[in-house]
Amino acid sequence: MNSTTQPAVVPSADATPDATPDEAPLRVAVLSFAHVHAASYVRLLRDRPDVELITADPDAATSPADEVRGRPFAEQLGAPYVDTYAEAFAWGPDVVIVCSENARHRDVVLAAAEAGAHVLCEKPLATRVDDAEAMIAACDAAGVQLMTAYPVRFSPEFATLRGLVDAGALGTVLGGTGTNNGKVPAGRAWFTDPELAGGGALADHVVHVADLLDALLGEDAVAVRAVTNRVLHGDDPRVRAETGGLVSITYAGGAEVTVDCSWSVPDGAPTWGGLTLQVVGTGGTVEIDPFGARVDGLVAGGTQQAWLGFGANLDALMLEHFLDCVRTGATPGPDGRTGLRTLRVVAAAQESVATGGAVVRLAS
Amino acid sequence: MSARPATPARSAPPAPSALKVGLVGAGGIAKAHAPAWRALGVDLVVHSHDGAADLAAAHGARVAGSLEELLDVVDVVDVVTPTSTHLDVATAALAAGRHVLCEKPIARTGAEGAALLDAARAADRQLYPGHVVRFFPEYALMRAAVRAGDVGTPAVLRFARGGMFPTWSPWFADDGQSGGVVMDLMIHDLDIARWVAGEVTAVHATRRDVEDGGLPHTLAHVVLTHAGGAITHVRGLWGAPHTTFRTSFHVAGDDGVLRFDSAGAGGVRTDLPPVPAGGQDRPAPAAGESPYLTEIREFATAFAASPGALTPDHPRHPRVSAVDGVVAVEIAEAALASIASGAPVALDTAARVRELGGAPLDADAADLATTGSRA
Ligand SMILES: NC(=O)c1ccc[n+]([C@@H]2O[C@H](COP(=O)([O-])OP(=O)(O)OC[C@H]3O[C@@H](n4cnc5c(N)ncnc54)[C@H](O)[C@@H]3O)[C@@H](O)[C@H]2O)c1
Repeated sequence: MNSTTQPAVVPSADATPDATPDEAPLRVAVLSFAHVHAASYVRLLRDRPDVELITADPDAATSPADEVRGRPFAEQLGAPYVDTYAEAFAWGPDVVIVCSENARHRDVVLAAAEAGAHVLCEKPLATRVDDAEAMIAACDAAGVQLMTAYPVRFSPEFATLRGLVDAGALGTVLGGTGTNNGKVPAGRAWFTDPELAGGGALADHVVHVADLLDALLGEDAVAVRAVTNRVLHGDDPRVRAETGGLVSITYAGGAEVTVDCSWSVPDGAPTWGGLTLQVVGTGGTVEIDPFGARVDGLVAGGTQQAWLGFGANLDALMLEHFLDCVRTGATPGPDGRTGLRTLRVVAAAQESVATGGAVVRLAS
Repeated sequence: MSARPATPARSAPPAPSALKVGLVGAGGIAKAHAPAWRALGVDLVVHSHDGAADLAAAHGARVAGSLEELLDVVDVVDVVTPTSTHLDVATAALAAGRHVLCEKPIARTGAEGAALLDAARAADRQLYPGHVVRFFPEYALMRAAVRAGDVGTPAVLRFARGGMFPTWSPWFADDGQSGGVVMDLMIHDLDIARWVAGEVTAVHATRRDVEDGGLPHTLAHVVLTHAGGAITHVRGLWGAPHTTFRTSFHVAGDDGVLRFDSAGAGGVRTDLPPVPAGGQDRPAPAAGESPYLTEIREFATAFAASPGALTPDHPRHPRVSAVDGVVAVEIAEAALASIASGAPVALDTAARVRELGGAPLDADAADLATTGSRA
């Protein structure tokens, strides 16, 4: 990956040369296969000459029997595997990528900090605000970087939007609408287990849009109000959390944004879902659809919709940025504090729902 | 254009073309109503503070010098004046024994709307609000499909509507007269949301106003909670002068999704120089006849059916009632109260419909839903 393909969204990302051959490869440990993105990261990392990869998934035993995890999953992916996190840390990783169930991020990140490894942690950073605070404190104390995995931040579409906002083309931002709709998560049962996931659609889908707004506005959310329901997949016994949600967020500068975080993409849809963000300013409106680039049509005798997506590989762009920062000592972003700020929005939304739709003010 | 009734007749009613219609107001929306009335072949009389002569000349209508003069010669009054005047103009028309079509919002406040309902009942005349979006084929088809169960139980709905700030008439910018973007523009989608997802139990709203370069801009969000469990987001924009009028919806249920975006819809694509600032105030229909014609034909057919009021179950009762219009104003008022207080507002539109003597939401004939569309 050439660094010129980096979106100009992260200051430290520009003009960083790729690793030179005489540099020692980075040791990267992918810890846990709970999150579906683990497979994407492993595929991107396993063949790189500048990376040595190891994987571990000790919690595999706690997952349902029909989910392929642990050593068999590593073998499918062709990735080296160890049985315990202790073995992975003993190997001396420079970097760990934390893909455990959301509620288990904290323990893995604290262990990684103790082992002196830089951390890229799946989103949401944690399921509780105090967990996220502890993770940030531990990484700070250990002098290691903590990055939150928000790949959409690296999309060229977002870079264009951000460039337009920064250049003043939108004038004063009035607010906007964000959507992060997807199918109900399948294949990994913990996603719909509120204990392990930290909630349902609210915990899963608000943070990506909140992260983009955090970067775009550079302001804290000051008030959050949310309503949810469980009409979608309401009769599925495995789904034990909200499946539909609308979250209204007020930012410090006055921008008013509503986010639809619902798992409202039908099971038979040709793609998993997507994310859109429409930003309205006094200069006009810009909207982005980072997962929208596609060839579509009808296939299989017209019985199936085709969806041949050709957007940028956001996981690849995000990993490239993170590894670059680790090599150069730059601070990767979105960092742990961004992960915490966006988690506070989710926590406030959950509090709003718990109080019957009250407006929750966030202390800044 | 023939004056073919919108629904099969049980017995041949008087033809709508025999109606004498008085248009009060000759501004922006009058330009959409006048040709629709003329397409039905009615006799049209116009009275307005401004613009009556030009509008009459353009559409083969006559000018009445005063409201009284107009009321003397018509069967039906079409109120297309600024919102804050709806109560007085419509009350005068009903008191004179005329049927009334009143542009939305049916009145500036719920209390004024309820007073209009009383006036219509006292006069035994028909009164309908101009909720024209119920006559846009894309919304009518969506509603019919939802009622047919095509998306299962509605769960999460989104509606958006926006265009340039309406600077062509000063009263829009005055909240006291217009109720702002929520009461004037978003009331369309507040009504549609209730029509599609059912009665409303809670409203939360925010609104942001920013003046830039001497021009006003306003963006508002309303979130509705429905009695049946669905939740709806409605977003309204009065934006920069170049803003193309655009509407969209996304209706997700537990068995499917229906969506529409006027940007890119329709069978005509153009690549022309940009519309200068001050351009369109409403969308061109995506397909088929003008939805204002569909709407006015349906109202005219009802007006022609009876000299008095129609019961909600009358086969010629239009798809929208005066009670629907008042309830839409009350939902918008709840949103304005939420904007003012910063807190959600509870309401019970099911109870309000009963108190106002309206029919339950699902009582209307589903076969009306696509009348007028070519689909
Ligand atoms: N359904 C829709 O799509 C739609 C679109 C635009 C406006 N509207 C509604 O229609 C109404 C009119 O809006 P508009 O954009 O046409 O406004 P406008 O300001 O362009 O026109 C108002 C007209 O009424 C006249 N007028 C004002 N007070 C009068 C009175 N007391 N007696 C007689 N004439 C009077 C004015 O001279 C002017 O001709 C408003 O309630 C508005 O909300 C509906």
